[in-house]
Amino acid sequence: MSLLKVERLSKTFGATRAVDSVSFEVHPGEIYGLLGPNGAGKTTSISMISGLLKPDAGEVFVAGTAFWSAPQTAKRIMGVVPQELAIYEELSGRENLEFWGRMAGLSARDAKARTTELLAALTLTDRAKDAVKNYSGGMKRRINLGCALLHRPKLLLLDEPTVGIDPQARLNILEFIRNLRATGTAILYTTHYLEEAESLCQRIGIIDHGRLLAEGTLSELQERLGGDRVFVLEADFKNASPDAWAGFHDRFRVIQKSEQQLIVAAVGARDPSDCLKELLNLPVRVENVSLKRPSLNDVFLQLTGRELRE
Amino acid sequence: MKRILDIGHTDLRLFLKHKSAYIWLFAMPLAFVYIMGFANRGAGQPYNRTPPVLIENADTNFLGRIFLAELSAQNLWVLDPTNRETAARVIRIPANFTANARQYKPTQLQFLKGEDSGEADTALIEVRLVRALIAMNGHLLEAATQTNAGGTFAEAPLRAIMARTNPVSLNAKFAGRKPVPSGFNFSLPGNLVMYLMMNLLIFGGNTIAAERRNGVLKRLMVHPVTRLELVMGKIYGLMLLGVVQILFFLAVGKWLFHVNLGANLPAVALTLVVFAWVAGSLGVLVGSLSAAEDRVTGICVLASLLMAALGGCWWPLEIGPPLMKTISLGTPTGWALQALHQLISFGSGFAAVLVPLAVLGAFGAVANLLAARFFRN
Repeated sequence: MSLLKVERLSKTFGATRAVDSVSFEVHPGEIYGLLGPNGAGKTTSISMISGLLKPDAGEVFVAGTAFWSAPQTAKRIMGVVPQELAIYEELSGRENLEFWGRMAGLSARDAKARTTELLAALTLTDRAKDAVKNYSGGMKRRINLGCALLHRPKLLLLDEPTVGIDPQARLNILEFIRNLRATGTAILYTTHYLEEAESLCQRIGIIDHGRLLAEGTLSELQERLGGDRVFVLEADFKNASPDAWAGFHDRFRVIQKSEQQLIVAAVGARDPSDCLKELLNLPVRVENVSLKRPSLNDVFLQLTGRELRE
Repeated sequence: MKRILDIGHTDLRLFLKHKSAYIWLFAMPLAFVYIMGFANRGAGQPYNRTPPVLIENADTNFLGRIFLAELSAQNLWVLDPTNRETAARVIRIPANFTANARQYKPTQLQFLKGEDSGEADTALIEVRLVRALIAMNGHLLEAATQTNAGGTFAEAPLRAIMARTNPVSLNAKFAGRKPVPSGFNFSLPGNLVMYLMMNLLIFGGNTIAAERRNGVLKRLMVHPVTRLELVMGKIYGLMLLGVVQILFFLAVGKWLFHVNLGANLPAVALTLVVFAWVAGSLGVLVGSLSAAEDRVTGICVLASLLMAALGGCWWPLEIGPPLMKTISLGTPTGWALQALHQLISFGSGFAAVLVPLAVLGAFGAVANLLAARFFRN
């Protein structure tokens, strides 16, 4: 059974449809990545799942129970790590963890014991008594994450937990999250970093303009492009139109076309060398051709017509 | 309930981590109490005050106890012997008080002056002492009349006589101009009420606005914390901050400025705690209704100064036109000061502040409900 099931979730703010009929599931021991650019609807989705916003339509089920039929029960099962550093900067790391533990329903004694454990796991024991305002960005992010883990939640919602930190600190946090997954925690992870989604998530949902455009494992998403490789052609495509090339669309799918670059994937399972020959015979003077494994960015590009990094 | 306490205690800890808090909680109000108390010092003491008196009863027989009851009926503030040094006067009842009375012999009571006490205190205690003696002699006379000639009177019939309503009584009141609270007796409650309102509005409003900005309120709401628990926790934290300020000023008032806090200190404390509830609820309400922190500070300073002026924190309402007193009834500061002046300056008891307390309670309930209604995360 899935720990989190989201069914046709929708939310509108004024004339803006922030989330439009989004559905997905997260299972125990799985990291589900919700990948999309800023403003795609990731945070609004998390806000509805965690009860901060009421959906206009759709339903959220936590451990099989509709969220709004027993919100306090659902909140006890989940831990939420917000995008912003929602912690008390004047308090120490230990004081923060103990406070959020008590808010999650732990007794003072249990919160204290669990705080000691978490400080060690987050490698913050030696800075436990310092005020959080004196921590580095990475340490603050770790405390921000730890504050959601005191009560050992079965479902963890992470809203871009690595925003604004250096690569080493990011790696530490990602490793910590992998370990959480190993304990059976179901994790919903929103991000706009392609590399994080590729390296961390078992399944990925691509969201843009409030709509879930595609979902699946990384290889399933790559498969949407027609195989495990794409061709990148560099040439002057200013006056060239693939529509005018006879039979081109029967053999290739255009992922992106610009004045200098054309990215295509082969249709069907064909030999790459055959594909290469056909591409070199196109009525343009090709300066360079490269072959690469399709990335999530290519998938996003194919789905939305623009790069995720734009 | 546990979460309300946790939120409140954490908020108090956060408030006290700000160095600026100590200026606004203690230093600034202290300076204003001194300056305004010095500027407002009056020529005499407010009327009907109850200077503390210590009674040393060496008589182990029943008439000693009866006399103590007569003194209490005259509204004397009788001190515990452990507070001997604060007594304005000492009354000594000799060991042979009962024996002499039963033998119809005169007895001398001792009336001793305390250190640093003024003539006004002597007069006030003496008047009450004389009234108590007259009452006691009257009761003894009645008891003796009822007793067979040559017989001795006992405690029970004497107490029965005392319990009866007096056929004639005197209700004395000030004639002419109403008394005006003055000196530190005026400036301490005035400034305490003003700064309680100002601090709890500013701390409350700013905390809510800042925690909304940095996402802490949202984070609280994704925990199994109800909206009401969160609002009550925030108000409780502000009340604790208020209690810290109240305790400091009552202590400073008593020992530094020698303010007579009245015979009913618990009523003074209760009035201030209820007022802190009103101010704390208003602070949460302001934080809920305003978005930007800088705007919150401006609104809170303006609102608290306005309420302080209209409520009588800056000058006694008794010296202004009657309209000002009527306007003050529309502010919680006005009702709080009315109660505090009754207790501190006019020597009234708990019964005299029941109405102001009820009105403050109504202010608190309404502010609390509005804060809960408009609370935004």
